[in-house]
Amino acid sequence: MPDAPDAVEQLRRQVEAETIESEEEAEAFRVAYLGRKRGKVGALFDQISEMAPEERPAFGKAVNALKDDAEAKLEAARERLAQEERAAGPDLDLTLPGRPPARGSLHPLRETLGEVTSVFERFGFSVAEGPEIEDDWHNFGALNFPPDHPARDMQDTFFLEKEKNEARVAGEQNGHTEDPKQDVVLRTHTSPMQIRVMENGEPPFRVVVPGRVYRNEALSYKSYCLFYQVEGLYVDEGVSMGHLKQTLSLFARSFFGEDVETRFRPSYFPFTEPSAEMDVWWNDPETAGGGQWMEILGSGMVHPNVLENAGVDPERYTGYAFGMGIDRITMLRHDITDIRTLYENDVRFLSQF
Amino acid sequence: MKISRNWLDQYVDTGLSDDALAETLTMGGLEVDAFDRAGPSLAGVVVGHVERVRPHPNADRLVLCDVRLGRDGASGPAAQIACGAPNVAAGQRVPVATPGTELMLPGGEENGERAPVTIERTELRGERSEGMICSAHELGIGEDASGIMVLAEDARVGQPLAEHLAARGAVPSDTVFNIDLTPNRPDAASHLGVARDLAALTAVGLRPRNAVVDVANFVMHECGQPLHTFDFSAVAGEEIVVRSAEAATPITTLDGTEREAPPGTLLICDAERPVALAGLMGGQNTEVTRETTDVLIESAYFDPQAIRRAAKALDLSTDASYRFERGVDRDGQVWAAARAAALIAEITGGEVAEGLVDKQPHGPPEPRRLALRPARANAVLGTDLSVSEMSALLTSVGVDVCDEAPGSSGEKFSCVVPSFRPDITREEDIIEEVARLHGYDQIPAPAHVPLPARPPQENAMRRLRRRLRARLAGLGLREIQTNSMLPTEQARRFLAPEGGAKDDVAQTLKPISEAMAALRPRLLPGALAALRFNRNRGQAGLRFFEFGHVFRQTDRPGPTVIPGYAEREALLLALSGPPQPEGWDTDTREADFYDAKGLVEHVLSLLRVEDVAMEPFGAGADPNFAYGVRLAGAEGTPLGMVGKVSEEDAARFDLEADVFAAELRWGTLVEAAAPVRGRRYEPPRQFPSVERDLAVVVAQDAPAGALQHTIEQASSALLAEARLFDVYAGEGVGDERKSLAFALRFQADRTLEDAEVDAEVERIVSSLADEHDATLRQ
Repeated sequence: MPDAPDAVEQLRRQVEAETIESEEEAEAFRVAYLGRKRGKVGALFDQISEMAPEERPAFGKAVNALKDDAEAKLEAARERLAQEERAAGPDLDLTLPGRPPARGSLHPLRETLGEVTSVFERFGFSVAEGPEIEDDWHNFGALNFPPDHPARDMQDTFFLEKEKNEARVAGEQNGHTEDPKQDVVLRTHTSPMQIRVMENGEPPFRVVVPGRVYRNEALSYKSYCLFYQVEGLYVDEGVSMGHLKQTLSLFARSFFGEDVETRFRPSYFPFTEPSAEMDVWWNDPETAGGGQWMEILGSGMVHPNVLENAGVDPERYTGYAFGMGIDRITMLRHDITDIRTLYENDVRFLSQF
Repeated sequence: MKISRNWLDQYVDTGLSDDALAETLTMGGLEVDAFDRAGPSLAGVVVGHVERVRPHPNADRLVLCDVRLGRDGASGPAAQIACGAPNVAAGQRVPVATPGTELMLPGGEENGERAPVTIERTELRGERSEGMICSAHELGIGEDASGIMVLAEDARVGQPLAEHLAARGAVPSDTVFNIDLTPNRPDAASHLGVARDLAALTAVGLRPRNAVVDVANFVMHECGQPLHTFDFSAVAGEEIVVRSAEAATPITTLDGTEREAPPGTLLICDAERPVALAGLMGGQNTEVTRETTDVLIESAYFDPQAIRRAAKALDLSTDASYRFERGVDRDGQVWAAARAAALIAEITGGEVAEGLVDKQPHGPPEPRRLALRPARANAVLGTDLSVSEMSALLTSVGVDVCDEAPGSSGEKFSCVVPSFRPDITREEDIIEEVARLHGYDQIPAPAHVPLPARPPQENAMRRLRRRLRARLAGLGLREIQTNSMLPTEQARRFLAPEGGAKDDVAQTLKPISEAMAALRPRLLPGALAALRFNRNRGQAGLRFFEFGHVFRQTDRPGPTVIPGYAEREALLLALSGPPQPEGWDTDTREADFYDAKGLVEHVLSLLRVEDVAMEPFGAGADPNFAYGVRLAGAEGTPLGMVGKVSEEDAARFDLEADVFAAELRWGTLVEAAAPVRGRRYEPPRQFPSVERDLAVVVAQDAPAGALQHTIEQASSALLAEARLFDVYAGEGVGDERKSLAFALRFQADRTLEDAEVDAEVERIVSSLADEHDATLRQ
């Protein structure tokens, strides 16, 4: 039998030499050294009775120290193993895809419509919406399209009811704006709401009108029988064409980006005078010249006849109006080349927005 | 309208490039849509020098030419070109189409059509040929096809042929500008008109000259005044008059078509019969032919509306009507007639008869005078132009700013409008001319823009729609946009009765296609078409929504905007196929009625529409739904429906899977919605609630909704919620029976005693027993 202190020292070296790399090894270590029955550390305590009493305190202390160290080693090993296991993750294949909720989407046309409208809302415009079936007075007559005027050819109109020319002319000349015998049309633009807004209130008017409009045109990649427009109207004292230019330039900068280039050029609409179209410079590295001017909207100073027709004094009030096609802008910003794509509702298209 | 650059250059020498000219016209209000260089393209054709001509070893009729093309300097290699022309000789300067050049070569036969041919480096009978020496005919710049075109001796070798020709004033091509003429600019509907504007915009003078061919047509294009020529010998009574047709009048026009002019049409008549449709087209009976010796020229101003009405009624649009509808120069008739007469005489060697008949039934036109207030012009435009600046601009387009109105001390000026500007009728028109000529780009953009002191409004329909769209997309629905128009027969199948005896679909007159003959009475057909489109492309699990207007014709009285029509906004939801995307662990069941109903209930709760009655219906109750529930708000206001789309309708759209849909009335829903804005916060109850589960057994066909209703009616205010959580039929509940389990929650502003809750439950149970023969499940 070895010397008792030597036995402690020997066992200590054994304990220190043990490696614990798994839960099984940890348990084996515990049983081997710290087990209540056959643990080797416990066995040392059994020797205490065989010792001289003066040696017992020192020996006891040494064995206790060994026991503490062995326990500390076991605990450290178990802590380390637990940490390794946590790091390895739970018993799940974490690489499986998650359960997907159904993915919805918003249509790019309605999104563009909303964005354009909201830019003007930020500029203090109200929003109004109107009917798509209109009467001749609101769609044409009040907007200064004279009967039998070629300006009516600018827009291919869907008629729902067509009255005889004579009846209509007589009605308008007599100022019977509510003549029930007038033509009924699908609105060709959102401009009729200019009249409805002015008929139902007092100036100032500051409003945008988003909505669907219709044209009796053959379907092709560049024309559809309907599209969306946003109309704007501002009537107040002292409104000038300079204000129109600046407001539309602010719109272009808000919507297309601060460094967008715009230009204004003369045009003709029966309901504005002077009339203007606004183009923005559209960068396109593939075209000669690095891009081109794209027509974005029509605008102008509200024609005095229109103000008069809506019961507004054109000497006291002036105003501007503008209108833009949302389909075209949507196509431009998303690189869509066929307008019919917008109304096909192909999920492979919708899911990109 | 097409405008020729060469022709334009005859009147005004701007010296601008085609691009700059197009830009100038566009920015001046004559929008150039596009311009094309007409005539042959000579790109790739250069001047070559024939250095040597040798016989072709393998072909008697060909020679080989060494042609220097000026590449790589004088010392570079000469190209070898095979040529079959009899006149080719050493020392000549000739046009050479280099490899890669595309020529429009004439076809084999005489007058054969030209077709594009790309000149290539090739071998002719075993000898290489690096291009083609061309004849004038082959280049499309002359008729001479007898041999190659021989150029001047001093032609610079290697110079593009187009440049060479241009330097000699022999420009073979022209640029045609396509101008999108707005209806207010009849003055610019001619070459002279465009030139006049161009001269004003570029500040250069006009240089009138003449030209040739069909004189009447030429003069119309020159000055914008349509003319008509009659064979004078065929004009009965040697006179013509203009009158309105009293009755429908037959006439055969120049194009050989027999037409019937409706009453009111303006006719040109001789002593016996109509000889022309005024402003539209002449009659065949007085047509100028080869045998004609005496010509009568008619030059008129017609009322634009009269011509437009006739053109519409006869469905006949001509170059003449295009100009008359827009209003020709009120004072240009005599000039145009005299011009045509002189040209005809010059070309034909005839004589111009003396005198001319000038009838002015309404008297000679008075020059139009308009007042211009410079201060008003500046206020409308936001400019600071002086009177003399405005006056200079206006004078350049023929508007004379004559004088100050008496007593107006400089506030008002009088402008005389030239007769060729019928569009200028009030002060705003003058102001527009000032703006246009000053340049829109010159109008200053102010540093501040006004904002009226009035709060902006947004209607509730739009506000709630914005919120709901985002929510629906969040719930996995895709927003669609479908056509509002469809064929009439299809539309009629979706017209549900709404109480009007004469209701029908709203229809369009003369749609360009039958597919646009009617307006949708429901959004459903559009959604079914969208489902079909995607099903055909292999997509499953489709969930759509759409906001859109629906329409009908109706004689029902009601607050409609346009009498005789009803229009309202609808919200559509449509589901078909698995409601969840496919995954490794997802439920693969197909969507059913409860998915659709659940969505509708969710929409109602998002909008806070409360107390909605849901009335079930079965087959035959709706034209498009096999079954479903109708939703009604307070006082029975219809809110819409949700259900299963009938199999017939699904089959018509080639849909085999079941389709569940809801069509809701948006305006009514919004009216019924309790605004979140005005909502008062209710703090959570302080006292704990008491929960009891209650399972009852009832007949298999007893509707759960009725039991729910009974529970709510039977209990006092203590019942906070009754929620159905289980439906079970099968073992343990008996044949023809089922068990329904409700979770009941009781709450009050105090701690509830068990006894009072027991009493509540007892009352509920006994009501269920009385009304539904329900027994407690053991």
